[in-house]
Amino acid sequence: MKFFNLLKQWRYPSRWRLFRMDDRLLLIITGAIVGICSGLAAVTLNRSLLFILERLHPYRQIWWAFILPGAGAALSSIFLNKIVNEGAGHGVPEVVYAVSRYGGLMRLRSSFSRLISSCLTIGSGGSAGPEAPVVMSGAAIGSNIAKFFSLNDRQRVALVGCGAAGAISAIFNAPIAGMIFAVEVVLGEWSALNIIPIAIASVAGTEVSRFLQGNQIAFSHRQFNISLLDITACIGLAAVTAVASIALTRIIRGVTGLSDRVSLPTWLRAAGGGCLVGAVGLYLPVVLGEGYQPIHQMIEGIYTPGIIIVTLAMLAKIIATGLTLGSGGSGGIFAPCLVIGSFAGLTYHRLLIFLWPSVPWVNEGCFALLGMAGLISGILQAPLTGIFLIVEISGGYEVMLPLIIVSTISTTICNSLEPASFYLKELVEKGHLLRPGTDARVLADLSVYELLEKDCIRVNPDMLLRDFIKIVKRSHRNYFPVENKETGWFMGMIHLDDIRPYLFNPGMYDAVFLEQIMNGQPEIIAPEDELYDILHRMDNNHLFSMPVVANNKFQGMISKATLLDQYRKELMVQTSR
Amino acid sequence: MDLKLFHIFRNTPLGRETLLQSTYFCKKMGATPLVYIPVSTKFLMYFENDVVQIDLDESYLTSSETARQHASEIIDQRDLKPQFLKPRHYTASTLPDIPTHFDFMCCPRSISDLSSKIGLGYIGPRVRRIVNSALFPVLVTSPAYKEWQRIAVLFGGSSNAVNALKLGLRISRTTGMPLDVYTKVEGGSVDSYKKVIRDENLEKDMERYVKKWHLLEKGKFKDNLYKIPHEALVVVGAFGHGLVRDIIFGSKMEQLQSTLSNNLLIVGPKYTAQS
Repeated sequence: MKFFNLLKQWRYPSRWRLFRMDDRLLLIITGAIVGICSGLAAVTLNRSLLFILERLHPYRQIWWAFILPGAGAALSSIFLNKIVNEGAGHGVPEVVYAVSRYGGLMRLRSSFSRLISSCLTIGSGGSAGPEAPVVMSGAAIGSNIAKFFSLNDRQRVALVGCGAAGAISAIFNAPIAGMIFAVEVVLGEWSALNIIPIAIASVAGTEVSRFLQGNQIAFSHRQFNISLLDITACIGLAAVTAVASIALTRIIRGVTGLSDRVSLPTWLRAAGGGCLVGAVGLYLPVVLGEGYQPIHQMIEGIYTPGIIIVTLAMLAKIIATGLTLGSGGSGGIFAPCLVIGSFAGLTYHRLLIFLWPSVPWVNEGCFALLGMAGLISGILQAPLTGIFLIVEISGGYEVMLPLIIVSTISTTICNSLEPASFYLKELVEKGHLLRPGTDARVLADLSVYELLEKDCIRVNPDMLLRDFIKIVKRSHRNYFPVENKETGWFMGMIHLDDIRPYLFNPGMYDAVFLEQIMNGQPEIIAPEDELYDILHRMDNNHLFSMPVVANNKFQGMISKATLLDQYRKELMVQTSR
Repeated sequence: MDLKLFHIFRNTPLGRETLLQSTYFCKKMGATPLVYIPVSTKFLMYFENDVVQIDLDESYLTSSETARQHASEIIDQRDLKPQFLKPRHYTASTLPDIPTHFDFMCCPRSISDLSSKIGLGYIGPRVRRIVNSALFPVLVTSPAYKEWQRIAVLFGGSSNAVNALKLGLRISRTTGMPLDVYTKVEGGSVDSYKKVIRDENLEKDMERYVKKWHLLEKGKFKDNLYKIPHEALVVVGAFGHGLVRDIIFGSKMEQLQSTLSNNLLIVGPKYTAQS
């Protein structure tokens, strides 16, 4: 018996005293665990990608190699939709959705499914990045660890952020960018509760990556001497990167819409998109896979092709990414953004040299870096992530000033043309983006049942006005639901205003039945209606109270005063975190 | 408040049997059936601390064009008003989120596997997770439509069993059907079970509604199940045994399933009973 009890105790680490001493300590410890797991996931994906890329490299030059990205995308789609039965998507929007609507609840299968599917897509040559899948994997690990330790919603959301931070930190060897990405993009709020475990997770993820892969700076470069003229020219670069960001966003969405209209199995659509990418890759190999190799050359300033080829490569990469992700391939947009951004920077630099050849512009590598920041900031509409990511992956702070200019201007332009970022656009359109402290979030966290006022006196349609006035005398409410005596079905409402014309005419007391004066078609609420819509209906119809009716039966009233009172309380809870 | 029973409709003869069970339950309890006709083979149910993905087998998509009509006909036969659930939120484009604020949910013994597997002695893993996470009791139906005329509560003294007993009392009160309580006396004495009843202030309700409290002191758990009448709705708390016990001795739920063909109303650990 003792053995069973001991075994039972060890089965539930969430009950260990060590983890229950202090909530902050618990979050720090679990945050570190999540960071380590996310780091391991990132390293695993990185190694797997390298393995597949090396194995397939000898076949890249053969004419039928265009089939490889198609086969990879098809296998990826089959794995995702048939084997693990996970709905499609880019990864990060699903994480933001889970955080917004369900307190960060995510499925266990999400912790590995995207790693495998993106490995198949990218390894075979699809134009996508491994970052979003790793973010989803890390976030799902965080969510499930929170579930394992029976943590509450707020703590679970923090661990989801830890997973995202650990993943980005590990894959780019960039702990600050990881932290900022988690807070700026995934959680959408800075709070003391979140930031400490996220920082710990970032450090843990980075250390795992450094321990297993070495402490390498992804895109190290030589010293740049940036002049005031270069900084001024950055304004134009920001505009170019903003246009490229918008183009990438719209092409991915366009191809997705087109693909959805094709009545073929999803794997076949993914295969078609992949084959097209493979065909482009036969002529412009830079569009295949992550495409980090040309970035190194561009930053070093040794990328030789001329402005037309560079521009073509940029456009081809945008189209290839659209085809890969839009047709159903699995992967993220971080890596393509870095490649497209560096091409945009190079194109712009060469255009400057063409227009003003006598000006001593800074090395083109600097503009490639700035272009990367502009693309990331523009497409994610997250300038801090763009700035710190580029600073960390390039290992130098001398580009900080132009980075800030490019990132902020690119974000501003993109935001004015596309009010929501690539990750959040669909969520915003469907009303699913519920950031803490916002109107929509506060209302989403309340329910009709919580606000129901049940102390209403029900009356019958055949009741005389005289009897009704007696009821009014002992009631403190202005609204009275009218119900059918036999069936109990809701028939309408009577408001005190409805009886006012007869109130001072006692002769009418025995002549008027409630059925004659009731409002038979009042605006009603169903219990499953959302409070956001209810409040809008109240505002539009100038109503202060509405009846809740379910299955033809009156359930209670919802008043604007109660709703706004609860709204205030909920807002205080959300903003006092 | 209006009670709601959530039902996932399968437009097949087996699905018809299950819906008939649901409508019978609704009629007796005064609940409204809320029917979901799946448009894809998967959906998500977000509970308080868990998210369960239900992967339905392909039979749930059979003849989708007649599904609504068939479901309406079955519900109309009982003079109930059919309500159909249309998902509002989607985690992914093919992955709808189904709300979880119901009072009851009806499940066949398995909803994720092929129909051929559905039979006695098997409760699917998804149904188990729903039971474990849900705030509502789950009606696990018998394979063929069977009207129940009485209520049998299996009471083992645990907190889940207490909740099951409270639910049984509530159903008896609502339906006016006789209630029997069955207790397999294990380990402790009969007094320990009576003490639980006393501590929960259920003595008066037991006297008023329970027709007979069967204290089964002899024989194995499985053998004693024969004493439960075939026309009873069996209300039972989910048995929360550890992994090791389940592997070595087998789950009590499995034993219950393999022995009883009755309709089961299973109360999970998250259910808060209303007495």
